[in-house]
This record gives sequence, C-alpha cells and structure tokens, in this order.
Amino acid sequence: MRILFFAHLQEVTGCTEFRLQPATPLSTDGVWSELMKSFPDLKHARAFVRLARNWEYVSDETIFNPGDEVALIPPVSGG
Amino acid sequence: MAMEIHVQLTNQPIPASLPPPAHQGGVGAWTEFRGLVRVGENGSSIVALDYEAYDEMAQREMRRLLVELAAHHPCLNARVIHRVGVVPVGEAAIYVGIASAHRAEGFALLAAFMDRLKQDVPVWKRRSLSV
Repeated sequence: MRILFFAHLQEVTGCTEFRLQPATPLSTDGVWSELMKSFPDLKHARAFVRLARNWEYVSDETIFNPGDEVALIPPVSGG
Repeated sequence: MAMEIHVQLTNQPIPASLPPPAHQGGVGAWTEFRGLVRVGENGSSIVALDYEAYDEMAQREMRRLLVELAAHHPCLNARVIHRVGVVPVGEAAIYVGIASAHRAEGFALLAAFMDRLKQDVPVWKRRSLSV
C-alpha cells in the first residue's frame, strides 16, 4: 500500500511517501493505527486530515487493500 | 447533453487570453474567472506563492465537482487551468471559463465551483516567497 503525504505533513513525517505492507485489508482506523506506529506525530493531524483511496475521498466504511494508493489530505488551499 | 469539460494542471503561466469554445452555436455566455496571487498574503508582503498539487486526484476532483454542479447549473462547456509551482504576484493561479446558454447558469456554476474547489481539490499554497 503506497501512502502519500502532502503539504506540511511532509515535514511532520519527514518524507513524501511510505509503504505499508498489511497482511490483510485495513479499515480507516486500521490505516491510521498502522501509520501512527511509524509516525507518532500524525496523531495531531488526524482530526483535520482526510484520507483518499485511489484518488477519491473515503468514507468511514472504506476498506483499504494492499495495492491501493492512499493519500493524507490536509486542509486544501488552492485557487 | 453532458457538459464538455477540460481540466489541466500546469507549471507554465496561464495564457493572458483564451478563446471561448467556437463550435457550439448555443453558447450565449462565456464567463471567465482568474484568481491572482496578491502581494499581501496572511499579513505579509510576498513576491510569489508556491503551489503543490496531488495531480491525479486534483484533476479527477475538479472534473467530479464540475459534473456534480452542472446537474444543478446546466452549462455547455467548462475549462479549468490550475497552475502549480511558483506563481509570481499578479499572475493567475487559476483560470475558469464556463460556456452556457444564458449568463445566470454560468455565473452560478463558476461561483459554486470555486467554493467547492477551495474545500475539496487537493492543491496547497505550500509557501510564500518574500523579497
């Protein structure tokens, strides 16, 4: 599972992307739990960061599969 | 008839003039918007903004929003260009052009799209560049 970080989350994590290799599909909570094992400071971000799976925002019920591209989307500021 | 949609991210300046779609005789209004980089950003004087985008998702999300909003504000053609990378003060960071039969639909779609873009499209003002 390819994880992408954008904007200030690149400073929080120290990288632009990361690989998770879950043995089974993950829930939204599962993705966050796995990420916080490697990046504990992300706990401060969870309240305002949305997840996207394969280029679409997810719902709480979304299941993430090992081949997915997952992005952490902090509040946007385009335009 | 489905609205024709063109969405683009570019690291090049947005052309100063873009032609309206010429192939549709039903177009009665061509509504354009350019969002410019201001000299004052968050209370400080800057010379440029550096934009970052999640390219693939940003393009998909802009297209998705246009399709969704066109169901409420039927228009004929939409063109969006969002610039990424360093954009100097006074230059356009975004261009939106909407072709519609009448002006009301074009104004409404353009306003609604810009509101939603600023909530949902994964583009960020990454940093301000000062003198």
